[in-house]
This record gives sequence, structure tokens and C-alpha cells, in this order.
Amino acid sequence: MSSRGGKQKKGNVTSEQEEEEQPLQAVLVADSFNRRFFPISKDQPRALLPLGNVAMIDYTLEFLTSTGVQETFVFCCWMSNKIKDHLLKSKWCRPTSPNVVHIITSDLYRSLGDVLRDVDAKNLVRNDFILVYGDVVSNIDVSQALQEHRHRRKVDKNISVMTMVFKESSPGHKSRCEEDDVIVAMDSKSKRVLHYQKTQGLKKLQFPMNIFQHGSDEFEIRHDLLDCHISICSPQVAELFTDNFDYQTRNDFVRGILVNEEILGNQIHLYVTQDGYGARVSNLQMYDSVSSDMVRRWVYPLTPEANFTDQQGQGCTHSRHNVYRGAEVSLGHGSQMEENVLIGRDTSIGANCHISNSVIGNNCTIGDNVVLDRAHMWNNVHISSNVEIHQSVVCDGAVVKEAVRLNKQCYFSMLPVSQVVIGPNLSLPEGTVVSMHHPEEEEEDDDDEFLSDDQEVGHSKDKTRQKAFNPAEVGPEGKGYIWKASMNDTEDEELAQCLWGLVLNPDPESDSESEASEESQDRSRSVSPEIDDVNAFQLEVLGTLQRGLEENIVCDNLVLEINSLKYAYNITLKEVMQILTRVVLEYPFQQQGTQLTTLQYTGSLLPLLKTWSPVFKNYIKRAQDHLDCLSAVEELFLEQDTHQTAMVKVLMKMYQLEILEEEAILKWFSTGATNDKSRQLRKNQGLQKFIQWLKEAEDESSEEGE
Amino acid sequence: MPGADKEADLTERIEAFLADLKRGGCGTGPIRGSGETARETTALLRKVTAQARWSSAGDLMEIIRKEGRRMTAAQPSETTVGNMVLRVLKIIREEYARSRGSSEETDQQESLHKLLTSGGLSDENFRQHYVHLKANVIEAINELLTELEGTTDNIAMQALEHIHSNEVIMTVGRSRTVEAFLKDAARKRKFHVIVAECAPFCQGHEMATNLSKASIETTVIADAAIFAVMSRVNKVIIGTQTVLANGGLRAVNGTHTVALAARHHSTPLIVCAPMFKLSPQFPNEEDTFHKFVSPHEVLPFTEGEILSKVNVHCPVFDYVPPELITLFISNIGGNAPSYIYRLMSELYHPEDHDL
Repeated sequence: MSSRGGKQKKGNVTSEQEEEEQPLQAVLVADSFNRRFFPISKDQPRALLPLGNVAMIDYTLEFLTSTGVQETFVFCCWMSNKIKDHLLKSKWCRPTSPNVVHIITSDLYRSLGDVLRDVDAKNLVRNDFILVYGDVVSNIDVSQALQEHRHRRKVDKNISVMTMVFKESSPGHKSRCEEDDVIVAMDSKSKRVLHYQKTQGLKKLQFPMNIFQHGSDEFEIRHDLLDCHISICSPQVAELFTDNFDYQTRNDFVRGILVNEEILGNQIHLYVTQDGYGARVSNLQMYDSVSSDMVRRWVYPLTPEANFTDQQGQGCTHSRHNVYRGAEVSLGHGSQMEENVLIGRDTSIGANCHISNSVIGNNCTIGDNVVLDRAHMWNNVHISSNVEIHQSVVCDGAVVKEAVRLNKQCYFSMLPVSQVVIGPNLSLPEGTVVSMHHPEEEEEDDDDEFLSDDQEVGHSKDKTRQKAFNPAEVGPEGKGYIWKASMNDTEDEELAQCLWGLVLNPDPESDSESEASEESQDRSRSVSPEIDDVNAFQLEVLGTLQRGLEENIVCDNLVLEINSLKYAYNITLKEVMQILTRVVLEYPFQQQGTQLTTLQYTGSLLPLLKTWSPVFKNYIKRAQDHLDCLSAVEELFLEQDTHQTAMVKVLMKMYQLEILEEEAILKWFSTGATNDKSRQLRKNQGLQKFIQWLKEAEDESSEEGE
Repeated sequence: MPGADKEADLTERIEAFLADLKRGGCGTGPIRGSGETARETTALLRKVTAQARWSSAGDLMEIIRKEGRRMTAAQPSETTVGNMVLRVLKIIREEYARSRGSSEETDQQESLHKLLTSGGLSDENFRQHYVHLKANVIEAINELLTELEGTTDNIAMQALEHIHSNEVIMTVGRSRTVEAFLKDAARKRKFHVIVAECAPFCQGHEMATNLSKASIETTVIADAAIFAVMSRVNKVIIGTQTVLANGGLRAVNGTHTVALAARHHSTPLIVCAPMFKLSPQFPNEEDTFHKFVSPHEVLPFTEGEILSKVNVHCPVFDYVPPELITLFISNIGGNAPSYIYRLMSELYHPEDHDL
């Protein structure tokens, strides 16, 4: 409740008119806190990666400035020095800049949560502020959203803490990031977020009923929203992050607020826009699509020829078919720049090249007969003749030798000093990553992405020298290490997906059709990672029961212990019952070996059942539980087929102990048979008799009842 | 130091103006009219003249040129800015000549003989210092500003000469000048205006609303209907973004269609263009001529998958060749397109054409 206190204090100190006059502030997080762009991001922080030959952070700052932000706090962590240098040189730090940029660096930030806690600790924001990441490219006019936000805060006494900006875009849009896909339930009138869920990997969505029960009578459930990662936050947001130290991301925050809405009374609102463009470059897939959107002028007026960073010599001209040429570009005879091409200054291109949908940086040289399609080349890249590059990122200073073919989704990362060299005469498969960093070296220094980089780079260079380059991988004259060789291995596929984001399914219709069939697989898949837990749980239950027997512990305490185990291993009630049944029934084998005769088995089992019947009764209550228990029994005896005759006795005993009810047994007997084996089991004479007896008993009792 | 303060203030204002220019024109064209841009540019240049440090006309011209280059680079499609810079340069030249005592007027008298004999351009160095130059220049710029403020009215005043009763007039898109022109005529005469909506931005809708508010009988048509309706039209009156040096137009897209339809039906095409829209640019300078904005209006971003399969373009301007234009109406009267070169030499000094 400390947030409440803070709120009131604020309300008293600043009157509302003053609030209006205060400059608009923004918090820009120039760190992604993930390793999506690894290994590129090892040498260059993500915010400085060039998009259309301009560092991404410049787009974000331009967006903020054009919306009227007058004070921006840039928080950097990884490679903060580089970001700082960049910003100090840029137009944002000129004295005439309308947007005052403060750079705050710390190596201790590990998440968005840390940054906002620091914002609160340093008391930086005094009013509503805009929260963005350093890799957001946008031209959305948020002033409308800002106005709505302020209006809500005025009317509702600071209940609304955050307004998230979303852009409308239908599913399947290439600029939608699969990871950020959300489904949002909102109140149509007040635009209040009622439910917020990321849909990545989910086949089923659940909405709590209570969201539809209060509030107004119009709701929208939307899946056509693109998260722009722009949010307008009240100062309480920072306070709330401080109060809840487990909030790491905005997602945590949103969910936390929604869950605790009733307690804290905070609300989150949504602003959906149709105009403008806004997207976050969160992975290489997004990098590709945002870059192409930018070249296709969706982010107008942030176009390459606008030179909004105001740097000398960065200007370029725009001509038909979205071809942009920087100064001093030379194009050889017969070369064609087909469409959507951006070429930086001082780049020379040889003869008979075909370039389409590509971005080429400054000072690049490209040989003859080169084919580039959806290639992203950064600065100082050297490409020899007869090279083909498709949908790849070629980073600073890379050299691609003759007759190399780069297929989809290759990308090279390199140190600024020593450069990756590829080829000649080589074809790299899809999803290849080549870097001057050795992959193993990476494992050694693990996730020290957050550590200061200077010394580390120095010492990793020494290591690099000791390891030889593999000519089969990078070509006879190649320099560099292959990171992920191909997409065939499952592990690599995950990594490639991690880098590129999820590849959008080209045919969503077939996807939805197959969804139903996939569901069953999906369930088994979702169980599979838990197997270890289940096994561990089974062992623990066994141990507990053993101890219970030895130390003569009361059954109630056993139940208590099993319950706590259930929570520890996150086991469902159904599984608890099945495991318990199984453990008990296997107990004699455990104790006396598997060579028992049926007689010995039943002899030792039946007293045990009697002892533990309270435990069973505790778990077997509903009709479904009975059936589950029975199926567990059946499963066990199907495995131990030599002891099938013992089954009747077990069932009999359980019936007598009132663990199982006769209806359940009858039901199980009549319906449970699903395969040959279990049918076989049901033909067992003893079992038939038992059932017969049960039926008669039932008849009798019913007669008696009459 | 107050001087330093002033200078900082000046650079700040220039930067703000540049940033405005760069961001200006999201989608539908300039947020403010070009008349306002012209006034702002001139006011800013006056401030530069008043506050920058210079001792001679040459220094001042250099400063103005430098700022002018930055301003025009910020938004190449906004030619008004460049035009105003040229006007101010011309003013400085004239004032300098006047201070020297020689009348620039006589030098301006061009003749074939003079062109032949003069050889190169004038070797004036503008280095001499005159005490009153600054005041004179500022005075002249003030005059220019007053002229700019009156342009729309001056043009509107001529409306009655061109619009007669019961005429059917077609216009395209929205132009503040044309709007004022039509409204002025509507005070005395009754006529019918057909507005082509000018997709995809549909500025025509706004134009039609404004006109009907002034109780002018107005009809909005789709761009596709321009040719079909043209046979009923007596006169086409349009605005423009820029008048090019050859007398052609750079106007909102759809204008070329209108002009061609008008030519086919021999309907007179009148262009309302204030003098500050006259640019020394020729239409072959392809790179800066076009302006493509976000394709959002053509195919919305929400369309989804189709966007990755098609290329969408959204150009803003059309080029209208001078032979399709009947008459220009500017604040100083009506002129034929063939006369534009003459106005050009009156307004701008030939040495300044390239900033």
C-alpha cells in the first residue's frame, strides 16, 4: 500500500495545472536483457545495431522527440560506453536539442524491473512518462494516447497506472512478432484491460469468468494487436516495481496488476491505433521485417533520405521503386537495383549484379555478378564476385570470397578488429551463424552478458588465436567459427528460432485445421518434461510409506506429507492417486523382490492395504477418483500379468475396506476396456465371479431397500 | 554575455524549424499551408539578419545561404522555403547596390546585347561595409512579409474577373488559395463547384465542407469521374504546391488527370498560385521532385499478409506540363505560363539559383 501513500503525497504537492506544464519525460531502456542477437550483440549493443544504416536507438529517440518528449533518461547496461559515445556524438546531445538526454549506466540492471526500480530510487520521474525500449521503431503520434491517459487519471483519481500502445494488424502480418502475440480482453468503452495473455505456444486460451461479470456490458477480445512496446506510465509504475521486487518485465507487471486489481485498485488501459507504425526489433525476423517496412516507407517521415539524425554525409536520394542511394555510390555496368534497395555512401558495386530488397551499408565493395536478395549488409563489408546472398545479415567488416552462396537466415557476426572471412567456393546452409567468437568460449564465460566487456574481449581474443579455423566450415581462406551448423538438429533449430524468432506459418488456415489433431500430441508433450518430477514424486511417496510402516506413523501425517510432496513436485491430484495406488501395489515387490508367488504377494499386500486405507480414503472421494484408482490398478496388473489372479483379491479387499465403491467397480468393468489386453483381463474367471457377486449383492441391497 | 545568449536562441529556433520541416507533412501534406511556411521562413531569416554576426553583405549572404541549404535539405519537397531564401538574398543584393549608389535596376535591364557583352557574371564582392545596410535589409524583409500576408487576399480579389454567374467550376483536392478565391466570388455570384476528392488523402472532402459552409453549391466526385464530368465544366481552378521554372506545376496527385481532361474538352485551366510558390527548379531534377509517403492510406497496415507480397507506393505529387495550363493567377495579376521565366528573373537573382 505504500504506492497509495506516494500517490497522495504527489497529488498534494503538485496541483494539476502544474502537472500540465511539466515537461514530458521518457524512459528509454537501451538494453534488451536477452541474447537474441547473439553473437552480434557481443560486440555491439543491440540499440546500436544499424537498421537502414542508422542505429536503432536513433529511431527511438526521434520518435520520442517528435511526440514532444523533452527529457529522456537512457538506461544502458551492456556495453554502456559504446551507447554513451554514440549518444554524445549524436544530435541528441547538442545544446539545441529539444529533447534533453540523460544517460544512466549501471552494470547491475538485469531486467526492465531493475531499471524501473532505479527510476524510483533516484526519483527521476515526476509525472507521466513514456516507457520504450531502445529498439523500437515508430512514428505513432502518442499525444492522443497521452491525452486519454491524463484524462483518465484526472477523472479516476490516479487509478489508471499504465496505457499500452498497440497497433491494429491482422494475424499473419509479417511485422507481428510471434513472441509478442497477445490476446487481450478489454472493456470497449473505457478501454480497460481485463485480461492479458501471451499466446505464444498456447493452443487453448482461458479467460476467468469474473472479468465479464463486472464493469460495463461491452467487451472486446482482440487478437489483432501488434505490441508496439510503447507504454505511457504513471509515476506509480516505478513505485509498484519497487514494491513488487519479483516483477522483471512489463508482462509480469501487467499480469500482476490485473491479478491484484481488486486489492490495489490499479488499472491498465489500452490505446489502439490504426495509423502510424510501431514495432520492436526483438529478433532477427523482426529486424528483417522492420527494415523492409522502413525502406518501403511505412515509417514515414523516418525514411532513409530524411537523414533525421542530421549527420554529415548520411543523406541519400530516393528514386523510383524505393531505391535509395547515398553519396558517391558507384554502380557497375549492367547492374540492377530492382526494388527496395538502400545503399550507403561510398559503396561500389560491380557489373551485372542483381540487388533487391536489401540494405547495404557504407564503404562496402561488391564484386561482379553478385545476387543479393533480402540481404542486410552493414558497413565495410567486402563481397567478391559471383556471390549469392539470400536473407542474411552480414555484419561490419565481413569478407565474403568468391563463389560463396549464403542461403536463408545466415548471419555473421564479427569483432571490429579481426574480421570474418568466408570462402571461396562454399555454400552455407540455412540458419548458419559465423562469428569470430568461438562458441565454446561463450559457454565458458556463460551468461556474463551483463559484465563489463572491455577486459573480457581482450582475453577472449587470446583464446581465439589458439584455436584453428575449420576450413571445411568457412572455406579454405576463411576465418571464423560456425556457431550453429544447420537446422536439422532439434537443438539447433531451437537456437535458430531463438535468433530469428518463430517463422510465421505461411498458411494459417491449415494450421488451424491441424490444431485439433495436434492437441493430443500437445498434451503428451506438455507432460513429458514433468516425467522427472513424477518419478521423483513416486520415489518420495514410496519412501514416505516405508518410513510410515517402520516408524508406525499415523495415516493422517502420511497424508500431510504426501500433500506437501504433491505441491513440491507440482503433481496433479489424479496423478497423486495413481502413483499412490501403484506404489502400494508394488510395495511387496519392492520389499521382497519380484520373484514372489501370487499367494505370497497377496499375503503381504492385503495387510498393507488395511493399514493404509485411511490414506486411500483421503484421496479417493469422487466417482472419477474411483475410476482413476481402478485404472491404476488395472495398469499395474497388466504389467504384472503373472499375478493377475491376485487382482480380484486386491479389489475385494479394497471393496471391503470401503476404499472402492461397487458402482465404480461395475462401471470400470463395463466401460474401461480399451484394448485387447484389458479385455483379456476382464475375462479372468476370478474377476468375472467377483463382479457377479457384486451385482448380486447390489440387487440384494436394492431389494432390501424396497 | 547577451550576444552569446542571442545566438544560442537563434540556433535553437533554427533547429526547431528544421525539425518541424522534417517531420512536417505526415501523410496529407504540410500541416500548415505553404503561405505560413513562407512567412515563418522569412521571419526566421529576418531574425538571422538581425542577430547573426556579419559585417558586410557578403558575410550575410553566406550565412543566409548556409542556413538556406540546411532548410531546403530538411524537406526538399517544400520549395517555398528555398524560394524565400532566394528572395531574401535578392533583397540583400538590391540593398547593397542601393547603398553603393548604383541602381541595380539598370543592371537588371537585360538585353541580348548585354548578355553577349557581359561575359561572366558580375564580379561584385559585397565586401564593403555600410552602416545602414542592416536596417535597410530588415526593412525590406518586413515589406516582403507584408506582401506575403496579403497574397491570398490579392488573389481572391481577382475572383470576380474570372468566375461568372451560373458557371460550373471544377477543382481538385484542397487549396487554401482556391478556397479563398471561390468564397470571394460567392459573395456576389452564384455558381456550382465540383470537387474531385483526391484519393487517397481525400482532402477534397474538407474543401467541399468548407465551401458548402460558405453556401456555395458543391458536389464531390470520385477521381475516376473527373473525365466524365468535365464536359459540363466551364472552368477548372486549381491550386498548386510549386510553380516550376518552365511554367509547369508540381501539384497534388490527380491534378494531371484533371489537366488532361480539361485539355481534351478545351476547358480553361486556371492555377491560383501566389508568387512565393514560384521556384527556379526544373522538372527534370527527379530526385527531389517526388515525395512518397507511408503507403498506409493506399493499403492499410492492417491488411496483413498481402503486404509482404506486394509493393505499395503512395506518391503525393503530380507534374503538370505547362502546355496544359491556360492561366496563372498570382498576387500580382494573371500571367500565361510562357511568362513565368520573366517573373523568375524579376524575383530571383540568377546567381542565386543554386544555393
